[in-house]
Parts: sequence; structure tokens; C-alpha cells
Amino acid sequence: MKAVLRRTLTMLLLLMVSSFAVFAAIRLSGGDVTAARLPASASAEDRALFRQQVGLDKPIINQYFTYLGKLATGDLGNSLTNNARLSTLATEKIRNSLILGGSSMVVIFALGIPLGMIAAMRRNSWLDTGITSVSVAGMAIPNFWLALISIYVFSTLLGWLPSAGQGGIRYLILPTLVLSAEGIALTVRMTRSAMLENLGQDFVRTLRAAGVSERRIHLKHVLRSSLMPLISLAGLRVGQIAGYALVVETIFGWAGVGQALVNAVLRRDYPVVQLFSLLLVALVTLGNLMATVGYTLANPRLRKYS
Amino acid sequence: MTGVLLGVGDLSVGVHSSGLSYDIVRDVSFDLYQNEILAVVGESGCGKSLTALSILSLQSSPPLRVTSGSIMFGGRDLLKLPPTELRKVRGKEISMIFQDPMTALDPMFTVGTLLTTAVRAHQKVSKARAEEISLAALADAGIEDPRRRFGEYAFQLSGGISQRVMIALALVNSPKVIIADEPTTALDVTVQAQILERLLMLKKDRGMSIILITHNLGVVASVADRVVVMYSGEIVETGSVADVFKSAQHPYTHGLLRAVPRLGSATKPLTAIPGRVPQPVEIPAGCVFAPRCERVTNVCHEVRPALLIRGPSAVRCHNPID
Repeated sequence: MKAVLRRTLTMLLLLMVSSFAVFAAIRLSGGDVTAARLPASASAEDRALFRQQVGLDKPIINQYFTYLGKLATGDLGNSLTNNARLSTLATEKIRNSLILGGSSMVVIFALGIPLGMIAAMRRNSWLDTGITSVSVAGMAIPNFWLALISIYVFSTLLGWLPSAGQGGIRYLILPTLVLSAEGIALTVRMTRSAMLENLGQDFVRTLRAAGVSERRIHLKHVLRSSLMPLISLAGLRVGQIAGYALVVETIFGWAGVGQALVNAVLRRDYPVVQLFSLLLVALVTLGNLMATVGYTLANPRLRKYS
Repeated sequence: MTGVLLGVGDLSVGVHSSGLSYDIVRDVSFDLYQNEILAVVGESGCGKSLTALSILSLQSSPPLRVTSGSIMFGGRDLLKLPPTELRKVRGKEISMIFQDPMTALDPMFTVGTLLTTAVRAHQKVSKARAEEISLAALADAGIEDPRRRFGEYAFQLSGGISQRVMIALALVNSPKVIIADEPTTALDVTVQAQILERLLMLKKDRGMSIILITHNLGVVASVADRVVVMYSGEIVETGSVADVFKSAQHPYTHGLLRAVPRLGSATKPLTAIPGRVPQPVEIPAGCVFAPRCERVTNVCHEVRPALLIRGPSAVRCHNPID
């Protein structure tokens, strides 16, 4: 419990630090917010006036404290490009991203664990070779390339699935598979190697000597020990998905946090960048925190002694 | 001692995988009678544990594989049983206790779950009934507070308690034979004595037969009825404990017994056997013990001696001690 408390405090500190880092970095990266907001014919005076109106003429540190003050009162601010209130803008983006990211997490474990188990239980068979080779490919292929290829094959050539946009479940399939490909591959390999390692443990021999069936030994005892490293790395998977979402949402025109963040960075829409970056940081740290809690709960030794 | 319960016949086990092929256990034969404790004794690497594991086909395979021989039990050769039939023998007819109890128990499940899993692997009983049987087995294994241990995990147990849990796991389906592979090696001396006493009680009260694998001659002397002495993958001598300890016929057994320190005989230095055990890949053509033997003659280097039956004993030697 103490560990969880400590991790929660660390998480808050991390959010503070990263909020400033994002705040400063986007302002120091150059570019001009007025380019997206004002017509190209706008004069230098008009542009200066606009900056003054939204407070961009003040020193960065002053701007930061103004931002923190507003944040503390629950005011997320408005988009610089279209004045939309961020609280309303964010809700829909977050919902969309959670749908895509959540289904990817489910797919990663729902496909990765059984495939890894099959590979381990049929070690050195053609099935194992097949699963292992495909997972090597899954780790090696960059997701933007996989995205383009899958759009070409499944949308352009075969016409089975839509290439972009939101809608029913059919719109979800391609982005989910692309977003989860590397996670599935890593999960397969980790499950397989953990299963093989645990199969060599003394306790497996004890269970065999007691007459417990191979099936039960694999599915109950060996699997249980093998899931532990997967739980502890589930937090990393969350971070991986959050990062890849920027690319995948943009390619598939998925109106989520990732796509919005990429667009906001390109337009130098500072408040939007700040909000969504912080959301991603919060998500990743929360994912890691939950992985720690999950690991502690799933491991009897930690459960008893903490 | 009435009939033969388990017969190991000409068992050879070895490494047989890509490029490698040699036997670690060669032509091992012995019988286990009803209601006896048979000790298999020898130094590390002599193949005693591998022999024990092979009885239930528990050796790590690959690369270890039985090359030839038979293991007769209840009229069937255990080595020829299909996996589903073999599973029904494991734990139900013959069960096994291992050397290191701390790693031999699954750390992710409670003692109770492990025991009830073993019960329900063989008996179609309700959860509650399986729990009763498990608690009774814990009590039989000498555990004082079965209900408490039932809910504990392996890491909460001491070495001695873990080994008693292992014994309970071996007892839970009331097998006829228990194979105990160095059951006391990882434990301290007082706990060793308690575990050995428990094995003796199983023999006396339940009429069980036990194969006790050990390197400890003191253990053999205190609990076993008969003894099989192994050296470098072969049986060199078998006989009743009394006979073998009083008048060992094989020079190796003789040397082993002389190497045991005795209280109150500080005047005589301990005798060691010179040389070392040959590796399984460099087994000599004649007698395996010839390079280290003090009674060696020419024939020993050329002809491998057969196991010579002499009354209730047997010895594999060209020049046995009379």
C-alpha cells in the first residue's frame, strides 16, 4: 500500500514537471500561431495584437503561472485556432481514443497470450515456427508502414474495410490491428519464453509426479507464473499505444487525442498541445501505477507482505 | 517382505540428442518388496536420482531418455504405458518426494490448492471432500496445524514444514510406493531425523514401500531394510543393510564405509578412495571401479564383471571381499 502511495505522489510530481516541459517546449519550438488563425494578408500589427489578446507577449514563466492558476479552477482554456472550449473538444477526442486504445489493449492480450501459449506448448513445431516468425515481423515492421500497407490491401485492393474515419466496428478493425501489432508480437514472445522457462521449474515435476494432467499443469500452474512479467509490463504497453496513437490516428483519420495533438502541434495551438500532452503523460503514469498494483495483487508473496 | 511390488530390470538411461549419445545409468536391476524401505546409495552423479526419476518417466526428456529395460509394476511395464495411463499411476500408485522442498512447491498457489488439485487428479470427489482428504494427509505427514498450513503459500513455510507438505502431497492419494529422492539433504539435522521417522511410520503403520535415494550412509543404516549401492551409473552391490554394513563385498562399498567418520575413533585417520568417478562419456571397458580399486587385477581392466548373486546379496566384482 505504501508503494502505491509513493507512486501516486511521484506521478503528481511527474505531471507538474512535464506540464512545464511541454509548456516551454512548444513555445520555444518557434513557428507562429497566427498563421493558422489569421488570414495570410494580416498585417504585422494585427498579428501582434492577437498575441497580446491571448497573452502570448508575456514572459513564458508568467504565462505558465497564469495557465496553472486557470487549471486549478478547472478552466482548461480555449483553442487558439477556433476558440472552441477545450473541455467540450476534449471529451469527444478522449472517448474516441479510449475506444481505439482500449480495443488495442484487449486485442494485445487476447491474441498475444493464447498464441504465446500455443507456441510454447507446441515447441519447435511448424505452428511454433510460424507464430514466432510472424511475431518477429510484427516487432520489426514500423506501424506507419503497416498502416499504409494494410490500407492498400484491405481497402484499396480488396475493398473489405474502410480506410479512414469513424463509424461502426468496421472502422475500428484496421487501426486497432495496426496499433496492437507490436504489442501482440511482444506479448507472444514474452508469454512463450516465460512458459518455457516455468516448464523447467521444479514445481512442474512435482505436479507431474502427483499425476496432475499436462493440460492442467500448463493452463493453471505454468500460465499463472508466466503471466507475472506480462502484468508488470502492461504499463509499458499503455505507453506504447499512447505514443503510436499519434501516428495511427493520423493515418486512419481517427478523431482522437493523437490526431488532435498532431494537428495542434502543427498549428502551434498551445492550449490544445498542453492539454493533450498532459493527458498522455497522465495515462502512461496511470498505466504503470495500475501495473504495479496489479502485480502486487497477483503475486501472493507481495500480497502477503505489503 | 512378501512379494515383489516393483521390479526395475536392466534399466539404462542416457543422453540421446543431436550428436550426443551415452548412457548415464547402465543395466540397473532391483526389486522393491512389499512393506520395505530400500535405500539406493551412491555419491553425487552416480545416477541414483536419474534411476528414481525414470521409474515414473519424470527425467527431463529431451535430452534424457530410457534406452532399454523395464519397470514392472502390477503386471505392467511402466515404460510402455501411454501418457494417460502413466498419469494414473503417478501419485495414485507410486508417488515421489523431491530433494529441495522450497522450489518443488508451486509458489503461486496455497498448500491447500496444491493438495486438492492432486486429490482431484485421481478421485472424483467434491471440493469439500478433497479438502478433508488433504487435511488428513497433512496431519499424517506430521503437520501439527493442518488447517493453518492449508491456507499458506510455499514461501511462508520453513524447510521442514515444506518437506512435510511434500510428503502430504505424496500421501494424499494413498499410493503403495513412495520414491523419496534425497528427502532430507536440504534440511538441518534435527528436521532430518523427524522426516526419516515419518517415513518409518509410513512403512510400519500403512504398510507402504519406500525407495529412499540418499548419499548418506547414516540415513541408510537408521531406516533402510535393504540397500542398493551405485557407482558411476551401475549397481555394484545389493544386500540387506545388516549384511552390507557388516561385511561389504565390493571394494567400493568397503571404501565408502571406511570413509564414514565415527564418534570416538579419533585416533585413526579417515580413509579416502583415491581418484575420481569417471564421466559418463569415458566409461572404461572393464569394471567401472577398476581405475580406483585396491584389489584390481588384469581381468578387471578387460572384462566388465556381471552382477554376481551370492545368497540374498549380489555384487559386481571379479575379486569380491569375502
